[in-house]
Amino acid sequence: MTAIDDTPATSTATSDAAAPPRRRFREPERFALIGVWIVLIVFFVLRVPDTFPTTANLSNMLGSQAVLLILALGLIIPLRAGDYDLSVASVLTLSAVIVAALNVTHGWSIWIASVVAILAGVLVGVVNGFIVARFGIDPFIVTLGIGTIVVGLSSIVADSRTVSGVDPVLSDVMLSKPFLNIPVDFYYAVVLCAIVWYVFEKTALGQRLLFVGQNRDVARLNGVAVQKLRWIGLICSATIAACAGVVYVGTTRSADPGSGAGFLLPAFAAAFLGSTTLRIGRFNPWGTLIAVYFLVTGITGLQLMGAEQYVQQLFYGSALVIAVVLSQAVRVRSLHKRVATAIPVSATPTTDLAEGENPTERSDS
Amino acid sequence: MSSEQSVEPGGGALGAPTAGTALLEVIGLSKAFSGAPALRSVDLTIRAGEIHGLLGANGSGKSTLIKILAGFHQPDDGRIIVNGDERPMPLGPRGLRDHGVAFVHQDLGLIPASTVLEHMALDSHGAAPGLRRISWRDERLRVEELLARFQVSIDPDALIEILSPVQRAMVAVVRAVGDQERAIGNARSLLVLDEPTVFLPRDEIDLLFALLRRLKSQGNSVVLVSHDLDEVLAVTDRVTVLRDGSLAGTRDVAGQTRQDIVELILGAPDEHVPHGKPTVRTDLPPLMAAEGLTGDRIQNLSIELRGGEVVGVTGLAGSGFEELPELLFGARTRRAGTILVDGREVTRPTPREMLDRRITLVPSDRKAEGAAQDLTVNENLALPFFGDHSGGWLIRWSALREQAQRICRRFNVVPPSVELTFSNLSGGNQQKALLGKWFQTDPLVMLLNEPTQGVDVGARREIFKLIREAVTDGMSALCATSDYEQLVELADRVLILQDGQVRHELHGAEITKDSLAALIYSEAAA
Repeated sequence: MTAIDDTPATSTATSDAAAPPRRRFREPERFALIGVWIVLIVFFVLRVPDTFPTTANLSNMLGSQAVLLILALGLIIPLRAGDYDLSVASVLTLSAVIVAALNVTHGWSIWIASVVAILAGVLVGVVNGFIVARFGIDPFIVTLGIGTIVVGLSSIVADSRTVSGVDPVLSDVMLSKPFLNIPVDFYYAVVLCAIVWYVFEKTALGQRLLFVGQNRDVARLNGVAVQKLRWIGLICSATIAACAGVVYVGTTRSADPGSGAGFLLPAFAAAFLGSTTLRIGRFNPWGTLIAVYFLVTGITGLQLMGAEQYVQQLFYGSALVIAVVLSQAVRVRSLHKRVATAIPVSATPTTDLAEGENPTERSDS
Repeated sequence: MSSEQSVEPGGGALGAPTAGTALLEVIGLSKAFSGAPALRSVDLTIRAGEIHGLLGANGSGKSTLIKILAGFHQPDDGRIIVNGDERPMPLGPRGLRDHGVAFVHQDLGLIPASTVLEHMALDSHGAAPGLRRISWRDERLRVEELLARFQVSIDPDALIEILSPVQRAMVAVVRAVGDQERAIGNARSLLVLDEPTVFLPRDEIDLLFALLRRLKSQGNSVVLVSHDLDEVLAVTDRVTVLRDGSLAGTRDVAGQTRQDIVELILGAPDEHVPHGKPTVRTDLPPLMAAEGLTGDRIQNLSIELRGGEVVGVTGLAGSGFEELPELLFGARTRRAGTILVDGREVTRPTPREMLDRRITLVPSDRKAEGAAQDLTVNENLALPFFGDHSGGWLIRWSALREQAQRICRRFNVVPPSVELTFSNLSGGNQQKALLGKWFQTDPLVMLLNEPTQGVDVGARREIFKLIREAVTDGMSALCATSDYEQLVELADRVLILQDGQVRHELHGAEITKDSLAALIYSEAAA
């Protein structure tokens, strides 16, 4: 073997501190969203100093988004495997109305009702995954169809009306015992975030999901059970969406067949916006968390400044579109830079180097 | 790289190109990326009515040169003269495309669900506003005339997806010529073909080359970029070789041997990998065997792979040889037959089952099947080993990273930085890294499908050496390829397939390019 010295980047391989990519400080783009977030916060602190930087507002912002965050964290699991799950918001609805209806209408214990609701979510995930894995159909269509069926079922369960008066025990668990003035459901979401991060970065399951999402053929030829993992991904997203539904009932003490409708787009916006930060081009839980709170900061601030309710749609919609555009642009740019800096030019007499700076140009091959 | 005798600055062998004979002149073209020179004062002259090969190892600057002509990159220095007109620098984003130079890339840029006519009518030059009405009758006449002129018998209404690969390539070529005619009138055009033959079955390449010769005979010129020296020698009149961004020389092909060109590309004599004595372990049972194997093309085929041997499999396109590695690996569904590994039958062959039994597959299409191009080298090399080093689901990245670095060092992957995105490696380095990954699993059998496709001569030599070493240590390799040179250099025996069955078997010294070609084509003629 010829004498090729390790570059500094690779010679420190003994520490296990970082997950695969060691470019923590080399790509400022990774922190762009956090930067914009800080600018936004400073802006609102200056513009609405009486209402924005208050404990009540902070607590409200953090707590109110827990349901969305949980939903988005479930969503990024199939997204990592390259599959869209458009049924998550419907599953949230179904789960919420099951809890409410069983508890209020049928007088079941709130805990049994919650377990049944989560099992219903698992079932939806199993059905989604079965159709996708068995018949090889694009989950985009499958989950769109199943999601619509699930909304219909929710109407049947709730008898097409709002079911309120859910056992307050549930909301006690979700809201009433705030820690550091922040509702506890926020902490549930953060714990889930940590779990998802751990699975994504540290386990074989997470890495295999990544390969399934990046290139199914490569995964298959390397012995990865592609269809099974896609199935698992869809079960996870539906199960977590059902959990989000339980949390939702806890925070509102009521549910109706329209409860989840408004969650689908924000969840996708957060997932895609999250993929532009921390780990560029990859759906990642901490990025998703930052994205969720970035979005709510903007919306809350604008509303405190006197904006109408519709600002929410404008904000979420533009965030999704901008996120997708950004993730593409930033990815290409960072690839450029990485090639330019990382390739030691004519390091060896061998000429077999990728040439040029354009990452899309695959050299002479 | 020191200057050598073989270097002929300015293509001196030609003498000064006189106006009227040179369709394209490139003088002193230079380009650096972030300070790293990719082209150093390169000269290139393309005469009217010639087929000109552009050769060089990966990273030699061929791509950069072509991309400058196409307008993707702007040169730092140099002059470009087309048809006697010096083009003002910079060239602009369309490069020379509006001045009689057409480009056909490897992927051809054809849409499967559209017809030949639709492709040819599509005005890729976009000069006219998109709302201009297309006169389909006129277009049809034009396209029919164009196809007839170049003797391409393809129905203008045929969908691209029903055409054979070589027919698609011919459509792309004729379209490019047609576009140039439309753009600049009936002047002679220059066609730049970037690796057009990589995806073509060997026995059909001649059809494409015949088309190129017809283009030439009508006064057009062709630049052919290729790694395949046999092809280049077969069809070109002159070749220009680049090495490390500099001109290594321009030669008339007549009078050159393959060896001469290889030395010009490498800048050093080519060393054949010593074949050595056969190391076949006939004393042991075969590592892998199949009986009565039937797939899409393969019919009732039986094969034994023993330790210490490289078994080559070849044939015409469609004979089934290209199917065999994936069929044995369980990546394609077999219709019938049994597969045995180490004497035991594999009842449900899947890639996972086969990997568990230490059978590995190196697929032909690195981009689509070999590696996830957007992930890092480290992640790609770790893929079969997640869960190792810890005995469970947990990944120990430190161990995997060290292992990836070891693979890169041992198999001479350049650059050896495992945090690079995989797509940043050149074709040869990608293949070395992937081979290294599988060698790391200590395989019993390695199933290789076109292992050196799109790999430059230097890396190709290294890959042969690696395979040979592993086989000497007792591994068995199956190599499915239509590259005869590779079979001559690498294989201990070669199976020649026809209609999905083994028709001939050659051993040791019987394996020559002539014997292979004779057996393969005699079958076709019969």
